Amino acid sequence: MTKARLVNFLIGKSILETVLVSAIAVGFYINAFPPYFHGWGEATSSGIAGWAVNDNAPLDRVTVQLFVDGKFVATQTANLSRPDVAVAGWAKDEWHGYQFSLSKFTVGTHEARIYALHESGGSTRQTLQLLGDPINFATDAAGVITDLSTSPTPHR
Amino acid sequence: MSNQQLAATTTSRTLALAEIVSVALSCLIAEWVFLSFLSRYRWLVIVPLLLAVAFMVLSQSAYGESARDLGFRSDNLVQTLRLLIWPTLIAVIIIFVVGWYLTGPPSLPRLLRPRLLVVPAWALFQQYALQGFINRRAQVAFGKGVVSVLLVAVVFAVLHLPNPVLSILTLLGGLIWAAVYQREANLFALAASHTVASISLAIALPLNVINGLRVGFKYFG
Repeated sequence: MTKARLVNFLIGKSILETVLVSAIAVGFYINAFPPYFHGWGEATSSGIAGWAVNDNAPLDRVTVQLFVDGKFVATQTANLSRPDVAVAGWAKDEWHGYQFSLSKFTVGTHEARIYALHESGGSTRQTLQLLGDPINFATDAAGVITDLSTSPTPHR
Repeated sequence: MSNQQLAATTTSRTLALAEIVSVALSCLIAEWVFLSFLSRYRWLVIVPLLLAVAFMVLSQSAYGESARDLGFRSDNLVQTLRLLIWPTLIAVIIIFVVGWYLTGPPSLPRLLRPRLLVVPAWALFQQYALQGFINRRAQVAFGKGVVSVLLVAVVFAVLHLPNPVLSILTLLGGLIWAAVYQREANLFALAASHTVASISLAIALPLNVINGLRVGFKYFG
């Protein structure tokens, strides 16, 4: 082994390690943040409602979490009836709806975000993926909620 | 020094530093990437470690270094142990005093953990990489002395990040072991000192202080 060959090995080793780390990074990202969740949400007069589907397991019920103004509010399983979702072809059955009641927010505008909860790494790791767009809503003194979002169609 | 000699020295120094960086990066990749992100396939950690070992062996072949040069020898074992006995003893006393102060005397179950049986082999491997390779390349780059000793200790400490207690202790241990290696190159004596210090740490200090000796991303969870 000469030093010139050692330099070649050094370069080869660096390239191989770069490829390995890149492959792990991509694999980890796909495993932790899989691209098969989609859903949608809107502000209703009493809270936030919508649906969530896992394309990889269409009959599974997705666990969703609600955050308002960046703070965790509640979690639930999206298993309420939403026939419109199945009719529109977004899911294979209708049981993918969720409904969060909101009652204690101050008067003014707020931003709600719905996340799909995903477990990976043998349930040792949990990640959140935003479903649809953030939902802007306003609450008045009577506690009535008004949707301020401009997006009327479902989003991935 | 002629221009040619200067160029050769610079090339040797650059190569030696690149070798240190390469081996240290392999270890960091093992700690921070493979062990952390491959939960089911964590055994693949062997890949960067084997790459590092293969590189060190090839490098030692390129430099014409024998096992004896590296410190796998017995003729200077006693002299090296003499150099190490006091620093090791002082470190052990400090570790036990601090541990006793924090949690009381070490409990028997911690003394009898089977995992401690692999510490000597692991210590020898670490000293081989740290002194037999990194220290020798640091000497190629900077010669014997403070700079190369400091470089070895810093690399050793960086490999124990982000565990603050381990990083500080390995910085201190790295300074002593690197300095001793530059006087007497004997990896068995260094591994013995390393083993005694590691086992003392594992049994004397509370697990929450050393965070279970975790390093890399595993430190956080």
